Amino acid sequence: MKKAGFSLFALVAAGFSLLLISCAPEACFEETNAYLKATFYSNTTKEKKTPDSLTVTGVGKTDKIYDREPSVQPALLPLDASNDTSEFIIRINGIADTIQFIYSSYPHLISKECGYTFYHRLDTFNTAKEIFYIYRSSNNITTANEENIRIFF
Amino acid sequence: MRRISAYFFSLILFIGASSLSAQDTVLFPLKLRAGIDIAGPGIYLSDKNNLNLEGYISFDRSEKMAWVMEAGYMNFKYSQYNYDYTSKGAFTRLGADINLLKPEVSQGRYWAGIGLRYGISLFNSETSRFQHENYWGSVTSSLPSKKAMGHFIEVAPGVKTEIFRNFSMGWTIRLKLLISGGGGKDLRPIWFPGYGNGGRRTTAGISYFLTWNIPYKIKTVISKPEPVEEETDESSEQTTGTGL
Repeated sequence: MKKAGFSLFALVAAGFSLLLISCAPEACFEETNAYLKATFYSNTTKEKKTPDSLTVTGVGKTDKIYDREPSVQPALLPLDASNDTSEFIIRINGIADTIQFIYSSYPHLISKECGYTFYHRLDTFNTAKEIFYIYRSSNNITTANEENIRIFF
Repeated sequence: MRRISAYFFSLILFIGASSLSAQDTVLFPLKLRAGIDIAGPGIYLSDKNNLNLEGYISFDRSEKMAWVMEAGYMNFKYSQYNYDYTSKGAFTRLGADINLLKPEVSQGRYWAGIGLRYGISLFNSETSRFQHENYWGSVTSSLPSKKAMGHFIEVAPGVKTEIFRNFSMGWTIRLKLLISGGGGKDLRPIWFPGYGNGGRRTTAGISYFLTWNIPYKIKTVISKPEPVEEETDESSEQTTGTGL
């Protein structure tokens, strides 16, 4: 009986020691940006096709998102959460068009470690020259790996 | 016929008497308990942004099982480079504790077992600032204070031991499963009372209780001792085998 009491007392003391161990803060390893995901397709074969060269620039910005990059599939387009429209100049294999996306944004908690991001709901889109045909796959622009539009070139 | 009946009755009495003599009687004190958690105030001493106060009462239904009600209050503040968050409110957990110790070991003084709880939490949470950065620049926004209700279940293994007469201490590890944190799928609470990290489906915690025990009834518990295994005489079996 005494042995059982002693064992329990030891366990209680062990628990108290455990309590004194502080937890280290954890880092953020998750995706924190909700990109509009655009997959490229051939206009002739209607099959998935990766452009030889892709350049994407946000209208009004000097930095390029992609700069003559090969093997981009899909393209990840960040949307401006402070506006309900974002415009991009997209150049595929030397042919350029401007695409405007109209959407609404709402906050989303990623995790305690990462904080918040903005998700978007795609309303509509327009192309300036209608060079590329665009098909909408999903309106929900989140951090999930889900295709939103298909660009046929 | 009469004689046969008398023999049969005597045999039943003999078997009954022999089985009674093989049992132990334990006088087990059933208790009411009231305890406070010292882990919460202990953590608050090192982290002034996290105050958690809680206590419990329990009522022994038998030597194996007790009904438990826990209640508490939490005030949580958290800041990091991209947001400031506060959450405060009250919670309660209802359930039962199962003592896995035998009555003759436990004697109402020791407890090692497992608890099962259902928890409910009422709280206000507010994100006074959050910042998001991407290609287009930085956006700063906030989420106003909002009332929410969270639900969860717990499995709580632990130990308790009597340190003085009618005073015991012990710890409980809390393994929690979120049912609902309130706030929908987009704005789950970062932290909420009684549960912890609302962004996670499962969390763990620890409570360290000081408990006052009030015996209210003595229960006579009849326990059967462990059956003693009879020693087999291997040598005699072998001898028999050889003989055959």
